[in-house]
Amino acid sequence: MLRWVLTRALGGAFVLWAVATLIFFGLRAIPGDPAEAILGGPGSQASPEALERVRQEYGLDQPLPVQYLTAMGKLLRGDLGTSYALKLDVASLIGELFWSTLVLTLLSLVVAWLIALGLAVWATRGGRIARAVGSGMEIVAAAVPHFWLASIFILIFSSALHWLPPISTPGPLGLVLPVLTLAIPLAGFLGQVMRESLTDALESPFVLSARARGESETGVRLRHAIRHASLPAISLSGWAFGSLISGAVVVETVFARPGLGRSLLSAVTIRDVPMVTGVALVSALAFVLVTIATDAVDRVADPRLRST
Amino acid sequence: MSLTDAEALQAGTLPRRHDVRARPGARVTPGEVVAGAVLLFLALAAIVPELFTSLDPLAISPSEAFQSPSPSHWFGTDESGRDVFARTIHGARPSLTIGVAATAIGMVLALILGVLGGVGPKPVDYTVTRVGEVLFALPGLLLALVFIAIVGPGIVTSTIAVGISAAPGYARIIRSQIRAVRGAPYVEAAVVLGRSPAAILGRHILPNAVAPVFVLATLGVGQAIVWASSLSYLGLGAVPPAAEWGAMLSAGRSYISNAWWLTVFPGIFIVLAAAAATSLGRAMQARTRQVGR
Amino acid sequence: MPQAATAPSRFRPLAALGAIAAIALVAAGCSGPAPQSTEPVAGGTLVYASGDAEPTCLDPHVGGNYPQALVATQYLESLVSKDTDGTIVPWLATEWDESDDGLTWTFTLRGDVNFTDGTPFNADAVAANVAHVLDPETASSTGYLALGKVASTEVVDDTTVRFHLSAPDSSLLDSLSMPWVAIQSPTALERGMDENCQSPVGTGPFIVTEWAKQDSITLVRNDDYNSPPADAAHEGAAWLDQITWRFIPDSASRFAALQAGQVDVIDNAQPSDIAASEQSDAITDLDAPRPGASNRIELNSGKAPFEDVRVREAFIRAADVNDGIESLFFGTAKRSYSALSSIEALGLAAEEHFSIDPAEADALLDEAGWTGRDADGYRVKDGQRLSLTFPVSTNQSIPAEQSLFEQIQAQVKNVGFEVILQPMDLSSWYGALGANEYNLVSAPYTKVGPDVLRILFHSDSIIPAPSGYFANHSQVDDPEIDSLLTEASEVSDPEQRAALYADVQERILSGYYVLPLYDQQNHFLVGGAVNGLRAMPTVSTPTFYDVWLTR
Repeated sequence: MLRWVLTRALGGAFVLWAVATLIFFGLRAIPGDPAEAILGGPGSQASPEALERVRQEYGLDQPLPVQYLTAMGKLLRGDLGTSYALKLDVASLIGELFWSTLVLTLLSLVVAWLIALGLAVWATRGGRIARAVGSGMEIVAAAVPHFWLASIFILIFSSALHWLPPISTPGPLGLVLPVLTLAIPLAGFLGQVMRESLTDALESPFVLSARARGESETGVRLRHAIRHASLPAISLSGWAFGSLISGAVVVETVFARPGLGRSLLSAVTIRDVPMVTGVALVSALAFVLVTIATDAVDRVADPRLRST
Repeated sequence: MSLTDAEALQAGTLPRRHDVRARPGARVTPGEVVAGAVLLFLALAAIVPELFTSLDPLAISPSEAFQSPSPSHWFGTDESGRDVFARTIHGARPSLTIGVAATAIGMVLALILGVLGGVGPKPVDYTVTRVGEVLFALPGLLLALVFIAIVGPGIVTSTIAVGISAAPGYARIIRSQIRAVRGAPYVEAAVVLGRSPAAILGRHILPNAVAPVFVLATLGVGQAIVWASSLSYLGLGAVPPAAEWGAMLSAGRSYISNAWWLTVFPGIFIVLAAAAATSLGRAMQARTRQVGR
Repeated sequence: MPQAATAPSRFRPLAALGAIAAIALVAAGCSGPAPQSTEPVAGGTLVYASGDAEPTCLDPHVGGNYPQALVATQYLESLVSKDTDGTIVPWLATEWDESDDGLTWTFTLRGDVNFTDGTPFNADAVAANVAHVLDPETASSTGYLALGKVASTEVVDDTTVRFHLSAPDSSLLDSLSMPWVAIQSPTALERGMDENCQSPVGTGPFIVTEWAKQDSITLVRNDDYNSPPADAAHEGAAWLDQITWRFIPDSASRFAALQAGQVDVIDNAQPSDIAASEQSDAITDLDAPRPGASNRIELNSGKAPFEDVRVREAFIRAADVNDGIESLFFGTAKRSYSALSSIEALGLAAEEHFSIDPAEADALLDEAGWTGRDADGYRVKDGQRLSLTFPVSTNQSIPAEQSLFEQIQAQVKNVGFEVILQPMDLSSWYGALGANEYNLVSAPYTKVGPDVLRILFHSDSIIPAPSGYFANHSQVDDPEIDSLLTEASEVSDPEQRAALYADVQERILSGYYVLPLYDQQNHFLVGGAVNGLRAMPTVSTPTFYDVWLTR
């Protein structure tokens, strides 16, 4: 097990390095002068002396390979640099925002899972109509864009019913709508994936033998089929987490929640390279960790994997 | 061992059951008929929109703005007085093109990565898996934003961006399917019988490996349209005045409390397209499932 | 045995959302009418939600954009202010005098004002501030341009400061009234830019105490405040205890938060929301057009096809925007026929130049040689299509405005123009402008006074700054206009000045360089608990000094 963890950790480190490199060259490919971004964004009307000074200070006049190595070196030391726009240390900025986004995405993942599982269980117990309706709901849920769902929720739960605040407030009540907005489309997707494997699982030999042994239908469904059906959905959770971060960009903007998603959007818009790099690395790190975790869960849930 | 092997194990060792549904040439179910009809309707709308409406989707009439649905305007009019029904019908072409093209781009990339990983020697497989993980690890929206910032906004760019973001997911599944199928008895038999590697790949491995991806690809069509509409919301998508469902959804959102018809109808069509595509995928999968022969 | 299936809930989108829309409209007024109160009471926290991007620096000397002005109005003050008639009134300076040659201005300052960090306000402070604005290290853009003719300052004594100019400047007082050259504590300025950006120190009614990035800025009352401008409603400290300044980028969420009572005042109100609030007693609209230029479309006369004035006129004769403005803005925006904001006293409106006549447009284009037509119906000449690129900044143009551009696109197509709309983010937009890759553009410019015409239409403004930015987007290069503008900026006789600026505007409007649309919309929606809110007549930013809450 330890060897497995170490191999995965090495793989994760490689992923982080590759992400950093991709971002470095990707952002440099965007047209525009980074020195200008540092001096207050586009249209800043900065003087040539100020631009030159900034270029020297930030090492932007060095040849590209030197800049790359310097950047990588800094990252290895854990130095994420200073945000061009906010002039603050990127690491501390992200630290404050990271928690907010993490809470949002993890909660959304859990809620999505619960909804998907619930629909799957209902499908197995409710017969054809329940399956059809559940399937229909999942398809609709997966086809709804976040920004639209957010608008509908605000309209219903805030403007019409006054049950919930329209923009995010500290505390649990302010999380309800953002989490639901992120969770429902994901639940639709996870549900559809699970449905496939659940149908397979229910008609497989080991379920047949469980029934033959006299286990109740519920027991069969819950203990055997769903456990089995969850496997592909568990493995997709790593990817799902990544997609939640993308969704968080829209959700944090609409609900005015401070977070990595929202700052990523503004950072790309004003070409704030250190901030974009920092956010990308942090989300890549989170993704790697979640993937390792779900793989570990996989190994626990599916004994067949332990022998490899 | 990575998590893809979990899927592989599942796919490879779970024998298919001999069931009414898993049969080529089985009878069509009512659900499949409906899905087929919807797809036909959407395809016709995309190819010959004039069949359904004679109104010009781009004809503005500011004095007729924000009219609610009525006999003269079935879906109402938008903020510039354009007929929403006409725009929705004409929107089928660009929207479906985005959905299909982005998914196709993703699938092509995924096939390349997946085949390399599934069939190639271990080092190639390792590299390709890592590449996939890196693409996975980057938030899809970030990829899209940076790509669009480099290349410039527009429908083509956002389609490519969405396709690239979707590729790693499909690649991972294709790869694991290929690995699973490689160990199947009929492939072993083909090797023993001396078939060429190309024939084995083309006749046995690929068809069996790719078929299960169809359901996900059809899910992907709807997802691609939704992603493109999110890019429109962020100001990076279709160029006006093109009628495109996602852009209409995003533009109509500003008026959602006083002109609900601007978002509801394009939204319904997006859901219809996604649902029909998913059903189609499921139907195809049910008929092409290969029991371990 | 499967359990009995429950009846499936059918999704009825039409009826459900129709009902919800109806409920939403009715519920828009659900916070109820505010209790009446005529006497100000002290206390309370007001929450302001801005739709603009969060500033990167709270010191408006640095850079100089409108979001900075909005928040800086609460804690910084200028030497002079303006009242609603457009007259310059005293603020931190009590008197001023211009020398006969116009090259020396002497200001008498108040002697009883201190900055909130204890430093006294005096002539040294003023000199330090001017130096700060003009220092290239500060990277000021708006303030720098405004004080462009100030060569040096001279401290005569504690309450007297002299400005020495390189050329007469008839707009110096206008410039000094703007928040981008407001007076900060010199002690605070010496802390260095990074620290000063976090919490600038001024003489204003509020003090910046905390800035949680991406979240909010906290301003608390300055209990020792004693320097309101001449047109304020009271004297002494402000009524509010505290202001929380938030940033909510999504307009629908912003308005929903106002309706829910989570915030008290919002800016960048969307037209449909303004119209909706007119039906409610609880929410009022503070309509405060920004000074400077009107919202207009500029036609790039520096390159084909708009270098030909006939083509420019044809475009304007074909673009019928009145119906669109009326419906898209729900009647909240009034059509403008002036290059300047309607709050500029010296603005000239010339409706006669903007009558719609598609037949005339066709004739003009034929005359200009665009006689061919291609398969799509667009005009061609020498194998070139009559094509116009129009980069649109999605950060600056609200959805209603973008829809208006789409309508213009459809209309001018009827006479053969092809308009290619290119929505893009702010950085890319500046890039496109800097590279001269545009034929049409709509770019706001906020400045106090008619001198903005010089910035927008003098040929010097075609020369780009090192960053590529330039302000004369219509690339007007007319020596007569140049000399009129230069003369107007130096002459001090008000009548002469007015006549010169009127002449300039007539030339610009009749040259068909711009298509004016409406004033720079600047609507603030105010919740029922807020009383006494007004917009500063200088740059139309709201001031919370006279505001009290009834909750």
